[in-house]
Amino acid sequence: MKLRFPALMLLVIIFTSMLAACGDASTLTPQATQAPSTTAPAATATEAPATGSTDPTAEPTAAATTDTGSTSSDGKVFLTVSDQQQSTWVRNFNPFASDNRWPTAAGIYEPMFIYNIATGKIEPWLATEWAWNSDNTELTFTIRDGVKWSDGEPFSSKDVAYTLNLMKENEKLQGNGRAAMRFVDSVAADGNKVVVKFSEVSTIALYDIGHQMIVPEHIWSKIADPVTFTNETPIATGPFTEIIRFQDQIWELGKNPNYWQAGKPYIDGIRQPAYPSNDAANLATINGENDLASNFIPDVENTYVAKDPENNHYWFPPVNAPVMLLLNTTKAPFDDPNVRKAISMGFDRQQITEIATYSYNGPSDATGLPESFADWKNPEAVAAGDWVNFDVEKANAMLDAAGLTRGADGIRVLPDGTPMAYDINVVSGWTDWVTTDQIIAESLKEIGINATTRTYDFSAWFDKVQKGEFDMSIGWSNNAPTPLQFYRGLMSGETADTPIGEANGDNWHRYGNPKVDELYSQFVKTSDPAEQKKIMNEIQMIFVQEAPAIPIMPNIYWGEYNTKRFTNFPNEENPYVLLSSFAQPDRLILLTNIKPK
Amino acid sequence: MRFLLRRLGFYAVAAWVSLTVNFYLPRLMPGDPASAIFARFQGRLRPEEIDSLRKAYGLSDAPLLEQYFTYLRSLSRGEFGISINFFPAQVTDVISTGFTWTLLLAGLATVISFFLGNVLGIIGAWRRNGILDSVAPPLLTFIGAFPYFFLAMIALYFLAFQAGWFPLRHAYSDALSVDWGSLTFIKSVISHMLLPATCIVLASIGGWMLGMRNTMVGILSEDYITMAQAKGLSQQRIMFSYAARNALLPNVTSFGMALGFVLSGSLLTEIIFAYPGLGYLLLQAVRNLDYPLMQGLFLMITFAVLGANLLVDILYVWLDPRTRR
Repeated sequence: MKLRFPALMLLVIIFTSMLAACGDASTLTPQATQAPSTTAPAATATEAPATGSTDPTAEPTAAATTDTGSTSSDGKVFLTVSDQQQSTWVRNFNPFASDNRWPTAAGIYEPMFIYNIATGKIEPWLATEWAWNSDNTELTFTIRDGVKWSDGEPFSSKDVAYTLNLMKENEKLQGNGRAAMRFVDSVAADGNKVVVKFSEVSTIALYDIGHQMIVPEHIWSKIADPVTFTNETPIATGPFTEIIRFQDQIWELGKNPNYWQAGKPYIDGIRQPAYPSNDAANLATINGENDLASNFIPDVENTYVAKDPENNHYWFPPVNAPVMLLLNTTKAPFDDPNVRKAISMGFDRQQITEIATYSYNGPSDATGLPESFADWKNPEAVAAGDWVNFDVEKANAMLDAAGLTRGADGIRVLPDGTPMAYDINVVSGWTDWVTTDQIIAESLKEIGINATTRTYDFSAWFDKVQKGEFDMSIGWSNNAPTPLQFYRGLMSGETADTPIGEANGDNWHRYGNPKVDELYSQFVKTSDPAEQKKIMNEIQMIFVQEAPAIPIMPNIYWGEYNTKRFTNFPNEENPYVLLSSFAQPDRLILLTNIKPK
Repeated sequence: MRFLLRRLGFYAVAAWVSLTVNFYLPRLMPGDPASAIFARFQGRLRPEEIDSLRKAYGLSDAPLLEQYFTYLRSLSRGEFGISINFFPAQVTDVISTGFTWTLLLAGLATVISFFLGNVLGIIGAWRRNGILDSVAPPLLTFIGAFPYFFLAMIALYFLAFQAGWFPLRHAYSDALSVDWGSLTFIKSVISHMLLPATCIVLASIGGWMLGMRNTMVGILSEDYITMAQAKGLSQQRIMFSYAARNALLPNVTSFGMALGFVLSGSLLTEIIFAYPGLGYLLLQAVRNLDYPLMQGLFLMITFAVLGANLLVDILYVWLDPRTRR
């Protein structure tokens, strides 16, 4: 009778020691994440803004409010946002890194101007004016007066010059300005002006430089390695710079005390709980816990709006660059534009948008340009592009004419006897893409092509598509302030000759056209909008004649909002900016215009 | 003692093998980490930026063997490197964000499930064909046969979302800060853990119970049990010290495994309940080819499995005198 439960007793000991270990670890964690926060007073961390009425253990104040979110006990109003999917937050506000928390480029740091995708206009931000010299070799920005950094230091043209020079010198820094750096010769501050000199003329570099987040010289010049700096307590010019709380599962940002737009922002801060998946985020959004979300919600009218028609709203403008069907133009028969056009006519875009995206968008026209580029669109090119119409008969006739005869089983064969059987690659789990892929694969059987949907994990899919190791694939296209990057990404001769097996940044289907390259260099050498439009009309015409890649439907900027606590969200009637966080830095405009009720 | 030394030697070899596999396996997957980051940007980043990402991440083109030795060297110094997916955060910092929560949730649930399952199994076998013995094993096996995520999603939707009895997500109320000295906080942690832990327990308890019951039934027919009965020992003593102690052995082995897999096994629970643990980190690391983070996490799992097995070996020596040679 020494020990009645020897084994069980030992387990109890292991178990208790495990608990003790938990205790140790957990007391360490908050210290580790909070220690560097010198400006955030310790008291605010325990201030406990109320949240989650579904939480049975929430404090009395929290449980008393029927409100599920955003008002803290001292009356501050926080906008709860669903963005970036993570299970735990890592504290990183470095604007030169790619995995920073989203406000870094849309609330904390600010660019010189914002190209507003929703309106198609450029809104001056930290700069008030900019101009090219006569031969487009020098770009001069005039810096806004009266802007201060959140620590009270004045903002100046020197900070802008410092930021751009830092990027130029250090190739490891990422940011919107990166693409322009290879054209930039020097950057210098002069009074309230910043002069950027170019070694090679590229007028579209304006957008890249204008969108670069500007950092304070007096802080960053003291940082040993800006690449690996996590910038836990940022000093910046944006509307939200104070980090009130930063925990594993939630963070909160408060107002910049020195913000330059008097009276703005109207809200006291932003809050972001951690949601590891779309489902978790959508559950909270549907439950009314998020004031602003940019997730895909299936059947949004029934699942979200119907829950609270007065407050739950969405706006899904289909103005992003289109989803493409890519055909590897280095391989026969995809090197023949008529075959590409025939394939394009072999599936029904209308059906795809109805099934894959609940008709939130419409089909693309043959130029591929979304509605946000309506001003750029060449009506003649749109009219000439009949190959986006669903027409099985004509597609069959064109394939017959191309010498691709049907075999005994109804599948066409190439002149060398190979049957036309191809995989259409797609990323597994990207449901709208997979559905699109399946519809296309099914439809192509009608025109004698045996296509099969083939799903890959993202990395594997991207590896294949970049290296050109595919026959057919679904893919995205470039979106930028002008349509040039869209076409360049699909037709640039520079990238067309990359051998199969070597990675290409874009132009995965490897189509090149010297005429487009010539038009491209004309376009970037002029800063005259009328001239640019003329060139763009020609480029569109070539795209429509050649069909280097097949536009399917424009991508959508997802956005849902709840008006229970806040107003002045953009929507179809008042489209002053996009809701989606995918549009950066546009979100600065959104966050400075939302008002508490 | 010699037994333990031999085991230790075996564990050292196993640790080295798994270190090596940790290094090579991720690198055999197609793609590269800089490209994988693109999943989150879908055309918003320019090709120029991929180049600068590659430079920033310091992805080496050196021969794999050379990289392997660099990796061993930095491991011996306790350096896990910088995570690529969470660049520029240290792997150790990233892991520390979720470590406590995974250990707490999955560890606790595994231990509870083991205890309850075994106790139910012992009682079930002791009162054979009683109510417990006829109802519990089929019912629990039935529940355990559900795909795990299905059980968790049903529980989340009906009990937390529709009925509102449990919190929808997270390890503690968002309104609170981490403070293990505060009763409110601990209560909040418990209430948040209740539903996910119950799901894990429900999903795994059937196996424990069935295993225990079946071994126990076999042992109860052994001669030494009859002998103990004949000696007139108390029923409790026969049940626990004679029968259960022997029947426990196979289950203890599986418990070692289960304890080791705590870190990896709770992946789906954590994602469904938005629990801030390591499960989702692991998924993300694998998806985004974050070599350093994968290595860090796999290393932790490996050592947890090996450590738990070592403990079980020691436990075995103590439980079963036949192993003491």
